[in-house]
Amino acid sequence: MKRLFNGIGPSRRDVLKAGATGLAGFAMSPLLGRGAHAEQWALKNIHETAAAKAKELAGSRNVSLKIMQPSGSLGNVKPVGDLWTKATGIPVHYLEVPLGEINQKVLLEAVSKSGSFDLALPATFGIPDLAESGILVNLDKYAQKYEPTDYQKDVLYTIGDYYKGSLYGYQTDGDTYLMFYNKDWLDNADEQKGFSDKHGYALKVPDTWEQLDAMMEWFHRPDKGMYGGALFRTQYFIAWEWWGRFHAKGFYPLADDLTPQINNDAGIAALEELIAASKFLYPGARTNGLFENFEAFGKGDKFADIGWGGTQKFLNSDKSKIKGRLAFGDMPGGMVNGELLRTPYFNWGWNYVVSSVSPDPEIAYLFSLFACSPVMSTIAVRDPGGYFDPIRGIHYKDPQIQKTYTEEFLVAHKHSMINSIPDFYLKGQGEYFDELRVNIAAADAGTKTAKAALDDCAASWERITRRMGKRSQSVQWHFLKANYPAGIRDRLK
Amino acid sequence: MPRRLAIFLRRMAVVVAMVIAFFPIFWLFSTSVKPYDEWAAWPPVWISDHPTLQNYRIVFFPKAARAFAAKQSGSLDYKVSGSAWKAFEDSAIISTCATFLSILFGTLAAFSIVRFRTGGPNYAFQFLTVRMMPPIAVVVPIVALFSMLRLADTYFGMILAYTAFTLPFSIWMIRSFIEEAPQELEGAAMIHGMGQMEAFIKVTLPLVKGGILATALFIFILNWSEFLFALVLTSGNVVTVTLQVANYVSASSGKLYGVQAAMGAISTLPVILFGYIIQRHLVRGLTFGAVKR
Amino acid sequence: MIETEARDGAGGVHAAGALHVEAEPVGRSGLLARLGIPFNVALVLPAQLTIMVVVVVPTLIVLWLAVTDWQPTQDLAWWQAQFIWFWNFNDLWYDQRFINALIRTVFVVGVCIGVELSLALALALLFVEEWWWKRLAVSVIILPMMVVPVDAANAFFMLFNDRGPINHMITVLIGRPFTFSWLSDPTWAMLPIMLCEIWQWTPLMFLMVLTGMMALPQNQVRAAVALGASPVRIFRRIVLPLLMPVIGIAVLIRSIETFKIFDPVYILTRGQPGGATETISMYMYNGAFVYFRMGYIAAAALIVLVLVLSICIALSKPLKRHT
Repeated sequence: MKRLFNGIGPSRRDVLKAGATGLAGFAMSPLLGRGAHAEQWALKNIHETAAAKAKELAGSRNVSLKIMQPSGSLGNVKPVGDLWTKATGIPVHYLEVPLGEINQKVLLEAVSKSGSFDLALPATFGIPDLAESGILVNLDKYAQKYEPTDYQKDVLYTIGDYYKGSLYGYQTDGDTYLMFYNKDWLDNADEQKGFSDKHGYALKVPDTWEQLDAMMEWFHRPDKGMYGGALFRTQYFIAWEWWGRFHAKGFYPLADDLTPQINNDAGIAALEELIAASKFLYPGARTNGLFENFEAFGKGDKFADIGWGGTQKFLNSDKSKIKGRLAFGDMPGGMVNGELLRTPYFNWGWNYVVSSVSPDPEIAYLFSLFACSPVMSTIAVRDPGGYFDPIRGIHYKDPQIQKTYTEEFLVAHKHSMINSIPDFYLKGQGEYFDELRVNIAAADAGTKTAKAALDDCAASWERITRRMGKRSQSVQWHFLKANYPAGIRDRLK
Repeated sequence: MPRRLAIFLRRMAVVVAMVIAFFPIFWLFSTSVKPYDEWAAWPPVWISDHPTLQNYRIVFFPKAARAFAAKQSGSLDYKVSGSAWKAFEDSAIISTCATFLSILFGTLAAFSIVRFRTGGPNYAFQFLTVRMMPPIAVVVPIVALFSMLRLADTYFGMILAYTAFTLPFSIWMIRSFIEEAPQELEGAAMIHGMGQMEAFIKVTLPLVKGGILATALFIFILNWSEFLFALVLTSGNVVTVTLQVANYVSASSGKLYGVQAAMGAISTLPVILFGYIIQRHLVRGLTFGAVKR
Repeated sequence: MIETEARDGAGGVHAAGALHVEAEPVGRSGLLARLGIPFNVALVLPAQLTIMVVVVVPTLIVLWLAVTDWQPTQDLAWWQAQFIWFWNFNDLWYDQRFINALIRTVFVVGVCIGVELSLALALALLFVEEWWWKRLAVSVIILPMMVVPVDAANAFFMLFNDRGPINHMITVLIGRPFTFSWLSDPTWAMLPIMLCEIWQWTPLMFLMVLTGMMALPQNQVRAAVALGASPVRIFRRIVLPLLMPVIGIAVLIRSIETFKIFDPVYILTRGQPGGATETISMYMYNGAFVYFRMGYIAAAALIVLVLVLSICIALSKPLKRHT
């Protein structure tokens, strides 16, 4: 088992190069010759070379960097910032904005152009909108100059760093969405026998959604104080689960001509199964936010939970009663053409982007190169109170990180990261997803049938696509499709 | 119904009203000293058995808060970039300057309107229309305009915006105070050789200065409590106390109730204080001078 | 448009024309006279100019934006935005979310003002007489008015938390655990918002009514008390009719302010769940600063501006006659 997870598989760079189907011009050209001049910059001390170069560029000028960061992330950003200041003499100032609003604030800067920040950490799914608005600097030219060829090789998820073939920011946080299971229940011999007698296959970490749903049903005994799942049925989270279920049935959300496929039979089935599974969830599923979810699952009376590294940080802490009694797994997949298709999902992330209003974009880029370097990113991820989860291969070997998350979790996290499908990185992502959220929630609440909900959503999606500009969306969609993980993109229709 | 019982019941009704009025504020202050595991406990904690100052530390002395959390396990260790001092400073600067300008411009304009009937009988009404429109309606073009004028996310921009939107209050309130001051005194001074302006400053102004002060405090309260413009016209360079509260939200724990309560409790104290000082004039202010004692 | 009348100290009125005021500070009149700006106009200039820049010019910009499809996310400056005639207005007409927001806001105004006024009058009833701690009572009751609205909203967020004191009190009352999530429920989420608004501003209505009551001829009230009339009768027959003008102003002004409601909505729900608590200000904020469809929202803003101003002007005419 372990050998599979030692290597990383095809490097992101190879994937991107190979994925140049469709509009080859966009996908290929920025990648050709990237790193050609940076051969002399080795990866292992890239942080030192980047800092030195920045110091040189700053010269005797009074340069400072302003970073707009989401509230609560200071523990991940400041230690790195302090080391940067030590190495370059360039002071760093932090602008804190509420984490639910940082994307909006960066976009607002496209209008107000106040110059209040040089770098920002928006959520990854906002990058298409930000790039289209002109507020982000296209980092290709700097990457060509400074990025070592193997810089991204060790990073397990880089799809969100690129938009229409160009680099806009390096990923900092391993936000893959994965599953947590109550190990005691899973390993219980009586349960195992009873389950396999009933269903004909073993009770273990489920491979498919059908299996997960069956297991949640099996364990859902509210009269005995046991619940099937602590999954989410709040409007914000519910669309994510559907996204996973839908992809697991083997389809892309859009066809090649941008017609939505979300309301095809697979989509409707995915939604109906999601609604059916709602019966086996704990009572707080419809109202609880993230923290309540941690607490609830931490009580140890539920079978399954879904979450991120941050979930594990809580579940592995002293506040959780289920510490040490957890099993982990990818988000379940589905059977497509008789074979198992796994579609883990990366649904958040934060990237360091450079503002086009910044007077020193090159130095700002060098900071992001510094901060996301192997050495510095490890320091950032180590912070136990912050929210960056492991993103580079070397993070998984760091003893402090291992202690925070447990090795067993990291194994599952890494596996999920390598194969994660991206979020819907298109201009207007928020609008598309809001339509999904509202309609799926309505179907779950029973006010619409699954078919009607998805049909309405598809119609809205067509309107949104038209407003965003079909040609422009098409370019990005083909780029994005081509960058789905190699093992998955051939199996999705 | 026996008279004493009726009176007792009426007094009780008043007490009930007082309790309802006070309850949310009580909850705010009570939550501000709760330790982190009591914020959303069930059943809820009404008065904490283990009151802590950690929330206030986080708001004002983040470094001390970090040190405390390191020593005392189970304490919230929340990392915020700066303390809330910046928010208080920025709010103080903006509110004070905007109040000053609003009073200055308002007094001059009120004087002109009352003594010279400038602009005709309906001129003052134009200023009222400023308060009738939902601010959100003008915020969009203001963002565009300010970005062109390089005023976005600047102190001056905020002061300008706040001054404009409180001018209706200052003009109408001060106008009502000036109208109350007897004009004959000014007239007498002018007969003795003073110019109109001089007469106003030396004679009438001292008479209305109490009212102007009350107006100033009133407008300060409005500026200090303002939220929408601060939300939209700033991006981190300028932070007001109303915005700072929203920063106390974490990725894993959601809203940090205790810290938000601490910030809220302190930031609302100046308003409560000033409000009580100008209690008598509140009604006049909030009805643009139409209703006075 | 600007007329000037100079008054001399004795109260007589001179003919209009250039200002003749003796003994002006020389410097000022010199410059102004050269610029042709009368002194009294110069006095209102600072205020007028501020309003021009911050209110009038933006309103003109709104007129332009309303007929464009400006989305700053398209990397276009606002004056380069695409001109699309009146399509925004057409889309708004069919935009259910916009219409709902308008209707919802009117509903909120109606309910809040109705409740505030009723409570204020009921409270004022209790304050017709005198007792020794009356001033203390007034001071406590007006406390909500003097809290920063954002902090009040946050307090209400905590109160209506599914594990908060409101649910706790209901639990105690009905004997069963009650952990209803008010702010996540599409039907009920509006209640905490309205309660926050009512809690904060009933004291103002109360104070206005009280102020109005103090200005009433006391002898009528005293005579009625002496004749043994109950506070209720005194209130209904004597006090209330005389208070009508004050009540009218209070209702008008509070209605305008409530129509603009934003802070509690933003803090408590942001218009969620699914737009169920979106008031018109929240709708415009979401449209402009979350979806960045600023041209479209400018058109919405124009409609709202026209609506509000025309209603205000229509309603304030009868009121101006009273004051």
